[in-house]
Amino acid sequence: MEFFKNAVNWASGPTVLFTLSTVGLLLSFKYTQIWSKKVAYIFFAVFALVYFTSMLDPNFYLIVAKPDNVPITFVLFLVAFFTWYAMYQGVENDKRIEAGEDVLEKQEQEKVWVWPDLVYTELLCMVILGVGLMVWSILLPAPLEQPANPADSPNPSKAPWYFLGLQEMLVYYDPWLAGVVFPTLIIVGLMAIPYIDTNPKGNGYFTFKERKAEIAIFLYGFLVLWVLLVISGTFLRGPNWNFFGPYEYWDQHRIEPLLNVHVSDFFWVRGLGRPLPSNPIVREFLGIILVLFYVGVLPVLMARPREKLPKFLQWISLNKYFQKMGPARYYLGVILFLAMLSLPIKMYLRWAFNLKYVVAFPEIFFNI
Amino acid sequence: MAQEEKKAATDGADKAAKPAAKKKGKDVSRREFNWLALGWTFFAAATAAGLGAMGRFMFPNVLTEPPSSFKAGLPSDFAIGVVDTRFKEAYQVWIVRNEEGIYALSTICTHLGCTPNWLSAESKFKCPCHGSGFYMSGINFEGPAPRPLERHRIVLAEDGQVLVDKSRIYKQEAGQWSDPESFLTLA
Amino acid sequence: MEKVWSAISGAWDATTESQVWKSVFRHGAVTSNRNRVLVMMSNVFLHLHPVKSRKAGIKLRYTWCMGGITFFLFLVLTFTGLLLMFYYRPTVQYAYSDIIDLGEHVPLGVMRELHRWGAHAMVITVWLHMFRVFMTGSYKPPREFNWGIGVILLVLTLLLSFTGYLLPWDQLAIWAITVGSNMARATPLLGTEGPLTAALKLGEINLVNSGNDARFALLGARSVGENTLLRFYVLHCVGLPLAAAVLMAVHFWRVRKDGGISGPM
Repeated sequence: MEFFKNAVNWASGPTVLFTLSTVGLLLSFKYTQIWSKKVAYIFFAVFALVYFTSMLDPNFYLIVAKPDNVPITFVLFLVAFFTWYAMYQGVENDKRIEAGEDVLEKQEQEKVWVWPDLVYTELLCMVILGVGLMVWSILLPAPLEQPANPADSPNPSKAPWYFLGLQEMLVYYDPWLAGVVFPTLIIVGLMAIPYIDTNPKGNGYFTFKERKAEIAIFLYGFLVLWVLLVISGTFLRGPNWNFFGPYEYWDQHRIEPLLNVHVSDFFWVRGLGRPLPSNPIVREFLGIILVLFYVGVLPVLMARPREKLPKFLQWISLNKYFQKMGPARYYLGVILFLAMLSLPIKMYLRWAFNLKYVVAFPEIFFNI
Repeated sequence: MAQEEKKAATDGADKAAKPAAKKKGKDVSRREFNWLALGWTFFAAATAAGLGAMGRFMFPNVLTEPPSSFKAGLPSDFAIGVVDTRFKEAYQVWIVRNEEGIYALSTICTHLGCTPNWLSAESKFKCPCHGSGFYMSGINFEGPAPRPLERHRIVLAEDGQVLVDKSRIYKQEAGQWSDPESFLTLA
Repeated sequence: MEKVWSAISGAWDATTESQVWKSVFRHGAVTSNRNRVLVMMSNVFLHLHPVKSRKAGIKLRYTWCMGGITFFLFLVLTFTGLLLMFYYRPTVQYAYSDIIDLGEHVPLGVMRELHRWGAHAMVITVWLHMFRVFMTGSYKPPREFNWGIGVILLVLTLLLSFTGYLLPWDQLAIWAITVGSNMARATPLLGTEGPLTAALKLGEINLVNSGNDARFALLGARSVGENTLLRFYVLHCVGLPLAAAVLMAVHFWRVRKDGGISGPM
């Protein structure tokens, strides 16, 4: 038992959890047969069993049973279920397409009366949901903490749970990026999806094979970069915003020394063994080049055909998409995609090297 | 207004200078175009003015805020090497006495404005929201805070008490901590 | 027994054939196809629906009913929110105690629970609705525009929930909003601590300061306080719900106009 708990605690560390989820998701795109009913039954049974027996552990119970965290339990199970349900139907349809049959949604094209066929379904949903909400409200009082006190921040202080993904980003990026630029890009990026995605297939039915790239990118962004961050931010971020395993005691005094290092420190101090130059532009030149390369040169490189790239870089070629989408859609899409990837990149840099800023101009609040 | 009319007029002149375009039934005639341009210019100006006025409405001319300066007692009240947290609640200020003198640190974290806690055992200010850590001097050394805590103006009042004025702030990254009023030197 | 039954059915017939009833309901019992059409045409609420729909499209398997559930939750929240407004005063002095009173001094003291848990549920269902629409590719032509409206509605839902978070005026509320609103301070050009803001200078005077930046507009003050509570209250109870209602009307309208529930071409 102890061994199991320690293993889970270890696996919930940010590095391991994030890596495992990413790899797991990518593998599930390769071996789509795991989105089957059988696997789902086993997975749900095991997961629910572990989750609910874990409530016997006092530390786990303390976090999960906090009234405002109850919705996260719903999120956990609902998102898992509906992800499976969507992928399951997609994989089923893919089999039908392969066999030359119509997709499931193509059958039953006949029109039926909305009253009663749809209206009654809606009524039923409303009744069930209404009753569920009543029961939830009667069983669980809404939380109310001490009266507001501007002088005393509770430890930890958390944003509402649906913003914990943003709060997690704030650990890795400055507020102007994590709080302003990235949310704007998320909203703009979501709205731009229909105009970037020109794939005419997969319109109006579940499928995976016909829209692999779109679904893979969206699921990575939604499941790993949003829902996973929300869940880990709720359950695993404890006092002083340190990470705690689900069975760990939230120790207010645990010390985790984090010494911040910038790219400029790596280059000048550790690399060349001299003090930082006083001219900020000279000091930060490497970081500036890296950022400009990432947002300016990389998209152009990726647009080139495979054989025109040096051998070790051939894997980044997205020439296929450049040809298909045209320059405007391609560049918009790639820049949004790279912006999305900049979050995991910075996370790994932080975990591996304690890297704080790639470019640091604290004088004008311009830190990346 | 006159300017806009002039603009519309020059627009018209520009059009006239060009060789007369072949008129099709649907095209807007020059005369109509002038009126349209004028109308839309007025409409855009009025909309912009309206939006501007609405935006300005959100910024009141008078703000009621508690007084920003206070007297914190005699310099001898503060022990060397101790962070005084008595004024945190009422004034959001820590008063710190070191070997050379006294300074007043703002209790607002430079990351996202939470209130850090002074952990005397670890000799640092630690912000509970995102884990930023600051040395006793206010310099940031861990976590996401991008810059040191701010200092406030601190001087001796005429009655010999320490006077802290929160309306003046001194930022280390702007080189303002060398200002004599950001630090009360005690012999 | 027979007599009672015939009396009841007689009374029912008399009611449904009365002038009052007929002036309200323009159709008879929805058992004939004619009335199935009439009920959709004559009832303003049901008019959101078409008269007929493809069988595959309205399956729960396909829609998960998530959009419908989200709308239902919006109605629940509007209604419970309205009731809460009878007791809640948005001032620093009263807000917290009014929230306590709502649970203790008012009969059926679960109104705040219904509102809070309903709000959490709505955030989840909005996510899942978007997720479903993405996974079925329903944002593709001709529904691109409606997807955009949906994204704005998602943002409005989050903002509604966020502004509501401050109103109990407890520790959870004030610090969540402090952290959230401090991000506004980092807006490029418009926030005091945003990149490039320092360049906006007239001589020695900073054009953007803590008294006129983006965060100030949000809070109505330099820090979270009385003005903030009032601003968030007004946004939460009037501004954002109105915006959401208008966009929802557009959203539903466009679902119909873009060809109803999506399906394979």
